[in-house]
Amino acid sequence: MASMIMASSKPVISIAASSSFFSKPKLKQIPQLSLPKLPSPKFLKTQQIPSLSSTTLKSISLFTVTTLSFAPPSLAAEIEKAALFDFNLTLPIMMVQFLFLMFALDKVYFTPLGKFMDERDAAIKEKLASVKDTSEEVKQLEEQAAAIMRAARAEIAAALNKMKKETQLEVEEKLAEGRKKVEVELQEALANLENQKEETIKSLDSQIAALSQDIVKKVLPL
Amino acid sequence: MNGISNALNGLYDISGVEVGQHFYWQIAGFQVHAQVLITSWVVIAILLGSAVIAVRNPQTIPTAGQNFFEYVLEFIRDVSKTQIGEEYGPWVPFIGTMFLFIFVSNWSGALLPWKIIQLPHGELAAPTNDINTTVALALLTSVAYFYAGLSKKGLGYFSKYIQPTPILLPINILEDFTKPLSLSFRLFGNILADELVVVVLVSLVPSVVPIPVMFLGLFISGIQALIFATLAAAYIGESMEGHH
Repeated sequence: MASMIMASSKPVISIAASSSFFSKPKLKQIPQLSLPKLPSPKFLKTQQIPSLSSTTLKSISLFTVTTLSFAPPSLAAEIEKAALFDFNLTLPIMMVQFLFLMFALDKVYFTPLGKFMDERDAAIKEKLASVKDTSEEVKQLEEQAAAIMRAARAEIAAALNKMKKETQLEVEEKLAEGRKKVEVELQEALANLENQKEETIKSLDSQIAALSQDIVKKVLPL
Repeated sequence: MNGISNALNGLYDISGVEVGQHFYWQIAGFQVHAQVLITSWVVIAILLGSAVIAVRNPQTIPTAGQNFFEYVLEFIRDVSKTQIGEEYGPWVPFIGTMFLFIFVSNWSGALLPWKIIQLPHGELAAPTNDINTTVALALLTSVAYFYAGLSKKGLGYFSKYIQPTPILLPINILEDFTKPLSLSFRLFGNILADELVVVVLVSLVPSVVPIPVMFLGLFISGIQALIFATLAAAYIGESMEGHH
């Protein structure tokens, strides 16, 4: 194919190639789609080859067209096959194949996957909606937790107060007890002191008489 | 004379130009283009096989293959919805198959090494580079939009031919012929021309230079598939929408 295209860049071959697409219907005398303004075969056949070769104004294009129209059967058959607009049973077969493909793809792809995607979308939407609901629930739970905390704090504060009061009372009681004890001991001690004082004073009194006699004896020499 | 014909013969032998040449099979006395059928079977096998493998066991969190097919399906749905409107649902298989078949066909012509397989005559190429394929698809599109209009509006569908004025009746009727004609020839011409351009460039400069043109060909192939599917959807949508 490549070499053909390369060759077709030359004008002679390009005409030959292009006419090869369209000259086939001419040969078969079948009306077909696009027909370029080529001279009709009948007109060409009436011409004689010598006259053609002798004419000086034979253009390259005309030459190639004539060679094509005079082509031997083998070449003609080959050119005949070069048909771009060749409609045949392929067309209805392709239609049937397409319809088959459509139903098959619908069964294995479009319907199941579409259904699956729609269901998933619905499920996700549902979940999203339910998530909104749980946010309210979370709020309620938070409030409950806060209430419980508040109650617990109040309870603890009450217990603390109570305990403080109790301990204070106890302490005061003990303090009062201690004070009483101390006072009693103090008074006892004071009483003891008084007793001792009196005893000493009594003993001193008796001793004073003796001492004063002694002092008098000593001072007054007799 | 003989010399000339021999030279031409030799030329044809050397050239081996395969444009417009077909590998014929006879089926019940009718001729078919075997190369088109063979490549179209490969395309159908690729499509069905990959779809079955990727969609066989759909996961909530899609795997790579499933993700790709989901993306393609979303894309097809988007195209159908844009062109047809809210009632696009039943037409997704038609539009989607149209797009996928043409797309994979076009790319198979550019990417698959068909040349490895030698045929006695003609050569394997994209199925869309044969006029039979494109005309078949275009005619199916015509049938589809007629069916869409008739099933939606009954015989009232034909009132669109005399709208906005009865003067336009010939043009409206002509449209029904130009639509499949333009659809089929656009696709056929683009794909054939693309392959020819690549071949010409390869023959002139065998390396590096044809590569951008090959990429352009891939791009054009995709665009053509999209255009065909979009236009098919547009025609269907047009025949379904209300004419006030």
